[in-house]
Amino acid sequence: MKQANRAGIYFLTPALLIIAFVLVFPIIQTIVLSFGRNSTSIFTGYEFAGLANYQRLLNTPRFITSLNNTIFFTAVTVPIELVIGIGLALVLNRRFRGKGLVRMAVLFPWALPTALNALMWRWMFNTEFGLFNSILTDVGLLVERINWLGAIPMAMYSMMFVAIWKTSSFMALLLLAGLQTIPDDLYEAGSVDGTNRWTEFRYLTLPLLRPAILVSVLLRTMDAMRTFELPFNLTDGGPLTSTETLSLYSYRAIFQYVNFNLGSSAIIIQFIIIMAISILYIATLRRDDQ
Amino acid sequence: MFTQDKCLSRRILIVALLSLLLLIPAAAQDNIDLTLSIGARGFGDAAPILIEACEGEVGGISVEWERISDVPNESRSIYVTNFTARNSKPDIIAVDVIWPGDFAARGWIAPIEDYFSAEELSEYIPGFLAAAQTDGHTYAIPLYIDGIHLFYRADLLEKYGFEAPTTWEDLIMQAEAIVEGEANPDLAGFVSMWAKIEGLFMNWLAFFQGAGGTFFDADGNLAVNTDAGVKSLSTMVGMLESGVAPESVLTFRPNDARILFQQERAVFLMVQDFVLAPLTAEDSPVADAVQFTRVPYFEGHEMANTTVIGGFLLAVNKHSENIEAAAEFIKCFTSYESQVEAGLIQGKVPTRPAVYDDERIAADAPGVAALGANFVYAFARPSATTGTAYPEISEIMQTEISAALLGEKTPEQALADAEAQILSIMP
Repeated sequence: MKQANRAGIYFLTPALLIIAFVLVFPIIQTIVLSFGRNSTSIFTGYEFAGLANYQRLLNTPRFITSLNNTIFFTAVTVPIELVIGIGLALVLNRRFRGKGLVRMAVLFPWALPTALNALMWRWMFNTEFGLFNSILTDVGLLVERINWLGAIPMAMYSMMFVAIWKTSSFMALLLLAGLQTIPDDLYEAGSVDGTNRWTEFRYLTLPLLRPAILVSVLLRTMDAMRTFELPFNLTDGGPLTSTETLSLYSYRAIFQYVNFNLGSSAIIIQFIIIMAISILYIATLRRDDQ
Repeated sequence: MFTQDKCLSRRILIVALLSLLLLIPAAAQDNIDLTLSIGARGFGDAAPILIEACEGEVGGISVEWERISDVPNESRSIYVTNFTARNSKPDIIAVDVIWPGDFAARGWIAPIEDYFSAEELSEYIPGFLAAAQTDGHTYAIPLYIDGIHLFYRADLLEKYGFEAPTTWEDLIMQAEAIVEGEANPDLAGFVSMWAKIEGLFMNWLAFFQGAGGTFFDADGNLAVNTDAGVKSLSTMVGMLESGVAPESVLTFRPNDARILFQQERAVFLMVQDFVLAPLTAEDSPVADAVQFTRVPYFEGHEMANTTVIGGFLLAVNKHSENIEAAAEFIKCFTSYESQVEAGLIQGKVPTRPAVYDDERIAADAPGVAALGANFVYAFARPSATTGTAYPEISEIMQTEISAALLGEKTPEQALADAEAQILSIMP
């Protein structure tokens, strides 16, 4: 047994080394750089600056705005996605003709890359020749065109709409997997006890779906807190910085202003927040298990 | 017999392989490998033709074309990654006119004035070359120039008896009269690129210069929050409020504005000159109606208007192993003949004023020559002097101008805030 273990470790070593190189090293580099000044590498010309970058960030209104934007975006989209996701999952869990087609249609938005989605929606949102304004004005619902992506706070709502459209299906998929683990005989027993649709959902489905809900909400929250492709391609963070997220802010600090240190500390703050949220979720999950 | 034959053929094979081995390093030594990084759309069809011609002319080099993004911020990201890693490739890079000061200060591009005589350098548009000169060094050589012009619908102006406007006051009056007269709810008076992009800063600078403003005054002090600054920004805000410019202009990048104009839905269009080719293409509805002129000035500031320029230069990677060969290649790639060729094939406006008068250009690319006339008034953004601070200065200006256009701040407040922030980061 022991010998087999050792062989296993030998086999794993090359893979672990590669992972350490491409994953662990950049993480350490980012942490170290976040405490530096005018440094782009941890090997040459590194200058320690303590907490200076963090101090500067917390006094930068733009960073605070991007933090607020990210939290607002997450807090609004994730619950709505959850509700729509549960609805979709319940529909998909039923047996009906053409179920395969419906499943494919629901999954389609999730299968499209976010960047592509964003570009597609940017055209549809276009004020002058976009789909929405032309339909709404043709039907006569609108006299003035709506500036979907060019007004505050409309741009944020438009972005949230795209996110919800895209990721509700991801929620639905995870929840559907959860639904399918619930044995049929429980529902049969329920119907003997005289459940109706609502009590069945409220007292059987929802409690048994709880772990799946927690996992999907956790995954989506982490994802939403890191949103980058959507604002980058849809609004470019604008107008002003009203749709700039933390990831977009860090990207700009690094690649536009070539301030690796400030960008790194923004990433670390983001990392700490996501970590805290994850721990909270996982603790809840664990309490459930016991 | 048989074995002998086999033996012989094996021997021949070995000799052949060995001589091949000898050949490989020999070939590599003969030719210096250079990589040229430039956008596929930026120089398009002209690039492979000029590369081949210059390989022949310089001799001993073979040049590989690395096609990069034509969106400046995207290609800049690639350079940031390569140069912070001290990569020796690409050897030659196309740099946006606002980059040389920044890149030079970071030690990413090499000074190359030693490979050019003073006379050779004097043949390029001085205002453009100046964007690549700091501390007595020249860091890049102008490749092609573009700039902001005022495009207009000559047919509509003629219908209402107007001449091309020379002042902003005229332009606004004409736009209002034409939009009212046409009674078409889809027709906008004036469109441009007022999304929060570099182009917005360029746009405001064009207004600002036309009001007699300069970004730094004669003593080198920041002069943004001045009468000219407020006048230019309030005029832009006023155009939005009165509806001369549609509200959607705040989301427009250059091409969005171009599309609207091309759909016969705008009277005036203020963007860079790359739009001339699509606007005058055969299938364009406005092909016969579009004309262009210099961006206007404000009444009382005759001739203060300039052409705010963009465009690209070629620079050499400081960590390249063949700086001299790279400089020689650049010399050929930006030569008089190369620029005639690029103007004819790609419609790129040359950076050598002499080319504007070339017979071949006058005959086959009259648009290039006409655009060239506006570049006599070329004005470069304050990027060479502000060095590494420029990207952040531009960002501050874009944000504050946007804030005023969106009605979040008054023009006075926005400019005061911009000035305070810029002063806090200036070295």
